[in-house]
Amino acid sequence: MPDTYPREIIEDLVDDSLEWDQLHDMMSKFKDTDRFQQVREVLQERVDWEDPIIIPYAEHLYIVAKSADRWVIKCDCGHEFCEHDQNWKREALINVRDSTEAYREIYPEGMHPHPDYMELREFFCPGCKTLLEVENMMPGYPLVHTFEPDIETFYDEWIDEPIPTPESA
Amino acid sequence: MATSEDEDTDRSPEVLSIDAGGTMTDTFLMDEGGEFTIGKAKTTPDDESRGFVNSSEDALDDWGLDIDESFPSLTSTVYSGTAMLNRLVERESEVNVGVLTTGGMEDTLRMGRGRQSYTGYSYSDRLHVNTHKHPEPLIERDMIRGVRERIDVKGNELVPLYEDDVREGVKDLLDRDVDHIVVMFMHSYQNESHERRTKELAQEIIDAQDAETTVMLSSEYYPTLKELQRLNTTVAEAYAAEPSREQLTNVQEAVDDHGGDIGVRVMASHGGTIDIEANELARTMISGPIGGMIGANYFGRQTGYENMVCTDIGGTSFDMGIIIDNDWEIDYNPEMARLLLTLPMVNMESVGAGTGSYVRVNPTFDTIELGPESAGDQVGVSAVETDVDTVTVTDCHVAMGWIDPENFLGGDMPIDRAVAEREIREQVATPMNLGVHEAAQGVVDILENKLRNDLEAVVTGAGYSPSNFKCLSYGGGGPVHTAGYTRGLGFDEVLVPEFAAAFSAFGCGAADYEYRYDQTTSIDIDPNVSMEEAADTAGARLTEVWSNLEEKIVDEFSNSNIGRDEIDFQYHILGQYQGQLNSIDITSPVAKANEPEKLEQLLETFEAGYRRQYSEEARSPELGHTITQASVRGVQNVTKPKIPEEEPVGPEPPEAAFKSPRNAYWDGNWLETRIYDLHELEPGNKVSGPAVLEGAATTFVLPPEYETHLDRHRVHHLKHTG
Repeated sequence: MPDTYPREIIEDLVDDSLEWDQLHDMMSKFKDTDRFQQVREVLQERVDWEDPIIIPYAEHLYIVAKSADRWVIKCDCGHEFCEHDQNWKREALINVRDSTEAYREIYPEGMHPHPDYMELREFFCPGCKTLLEVENMMPGYPLVHTFEPDIETFYDEWIDEPIPTPESA
Repeated sequence: MATSEDEDTDRSPEVLSIDAGGTMTDTFLMDEGGEFTIGKAKTTPDDESRGFVNSSEDALDDWGLDIDESFPSLTSTVYSGTAMLNRLVERESEVNVGVLTTGGMEDTLRMGRGRQSYTGYSYSDRLHVNTHKHPEPLIERDMIRGVRERIDVKGNELVPLYEDDVREGVKDLLDRDVDHIVVMFMHSYQNESHERRTKELAQEIIDAQDAETTVMLSSEYYPTLKELQRLNTTVAEAYAAEPSREQLTNVQEAVDDHGGDIGVRVMASHGGTIDIEANELARTMISGPIGGMIGANYFGRQTGYENMVCTDIGGTSFDMGIIIDNDWEIDYNPEMARLLLTLPMVNMESVGAGTGSYVRVNPTFDTIELGPESAGDQVGVSAVETDVDTVTVTDCHVAMGWIDPENFLGGDMPIDRAVAEREIREQVATPMNLGVHEAAQGVVDILENKLRNDLEAVVTGAGYSPSNFKCLSYGGGGPVHTAGYTRGLGFDEVLVPEFAAAFSAFGCGAADYEYRYDQTTSIDIDPNVSMEEAADTAGARLTEVWSNLEEKIVDEFSNSNIGRDEIDFQYHILGQYQGQLNSIDITSPVAKANEPEKLEQLLETFEAGYRRQYSEEARSPELGHTITQASVRGVQNVTKPKIPEEEPVGPEPPEAAFKSPRNAYWDGNWLETRIYDLHELEPGNKVSGPAVLEGAATTFVLPPEYETHLDRHRVHHLKHTG
């Protein structure tokens, strides 16, 4: 078991460009101890802004430190959504597909849910207009708050490292 | 039966068994007196016959013999290669294969089935969904054509064969220069008429185009249910096995050129050997260590042991198999190269733990874990000439003084005990807060506990108790752990052959010349009909299937000019009570079931088998019976290796057997331990533990409170006296 992998492998892992055999090997072995920090560094290098990434939040989204006690959800284009414990979807541009016509734009005939039972919500970044997430819910159901990470516990008890701040970065 | 290096030109080699592996070709050569020697040479993938000749010469060298004067005396030659299996593993073949299948089923190879996404993986990778992945299919999607037709599960035609689809598909595939066209239609094992007609139509087009393409029908090769397995196997036959025919022919020519007067046979998964001209070659891609099972069964037949559990520990795995009434169980859907196949294969359970298994401390749980990876033949960190850097189980043996660093593999591999101790301390003992030898003992205990649990599960899981069995232990690493993994299980006896390391090779030499064919059936014997009526209907149908399979075997043997009267036939069924999911394997006492008395005998044998496996209370003859598969085996007698036979002398080992004693670590204590030369012990000798018996390729460990005696066949009988 390597305690750590070379930087190139972690970059390939982030890009999903590893060969299956290699990926399978990494999954089967004990986890490398510095995997999180290595992945975080690769991601940090790829964004154009300075705020330190605390955790990757979803595809294109991160929780970043604005100060030692303020963390926000930010897109890789630089657009900032909200505080880390709020639902970023409320700040997103939303397209709702709740009719047969709207469904038929992206589904073959007869292959989509009935609009009376399910609506499709597409969330876009107001900054770069990237499609960030899609959820399929009953009409009237509130926006799903998918993930509210416990950052203190993760840093203190799981990886035993200080939480990055703008000063430490 | 020891390796002999005497220069003795009077010897007459009889049995030659050669295993061409990925890198090395190993030879096992036995003379008319039952003595054997081994040889090695590099495998030559371009022309395997060169490796075959070199390896044979290496073995003959030991006896000071020349190949041209020795080959004429051979009476049995068994060859097994890995080229076929490699084509599957690498998904690379020199031939181009096209497939015609039932319309709508064109994606069968890509979709596979759930089990195929984790088959062949380690236990933890089978448990975790994120490590599952469907394997690469053998055939590209654009080489597969659908044909409209449909046969149902009972063999009725639901949709007739659309012959124009066949013609179009064949022409299309011929335009793509295919060497073989594989035809697999749904339920063709029940009704092969559509496949047959397809072959006729295809042949007309092939002949008209003057092409050399062959047409292979799944119903001719593997008439068994489950379309994925049937298609995988028929494709494997075309893709991997057929291209090997030329290599095997080269090997045969090499034997002929050197004056050999014997047909080369190939080891097959069903536990027999077959001719290189056999129609079905795919079953010679063996991926399991079945040689040892064959050897054990042969040994058992000679010595009167009917029920045996075979255990084989090598560097990477622990393999277990059961022999009952001198026959093994068959696995009808084995896995090779991550593909599920439909081939009869001697059933063995394999666990990814061996003497070369890596030992690591799990950083999350602070526990010692073994494998699943291993150093294999690189032994461990203490083998200083290799580049292994993770501690292995063998390193622990070295640290504990069980293995003599000066005498590992007869001294061929330099071992450094200080390195073993240093690395165990650093990698295992310190993180676990243990002493070095305590940690080493812990590792050995974990391995032996694991093997013991697995072994018990295999025996009791099949419905038997260990007390009905003799446990046979072999393989390079087996005898080091035999006492540990059999402790407390209550086997009738525990046997360790002196030639444990060469036992699998011995087994390959002991294989019968045997063809075996299977056919899926759905023959119901209803409970409320008379035996006369059942014999006229179900019995007659079973007899017909048997006799068709018998014809296939006669046909195979006739390829090698062996007539029907030289063949011994055995008949088998898979049977169940009507409506059950699983069938049991029954060796039929009769060759025909179309008379009431004979069918009754067959059913009685089934009832006895069911009672043995599941208990009297579980029998349910009132449900009626279903025969789900019929099988026939045809065997022709061949020369077998001899089992040593020596007159026992007294219990006291001869002077020459004693080596200087040393201290070894046993369960927390350093004890002075007697060391013996395994090969100098004589039949009748008794030895008690703590002792280590050292041989050329095997170390037999006798812990305190154990004793062993060597019998007239040079097999040790291990006993717990505590």
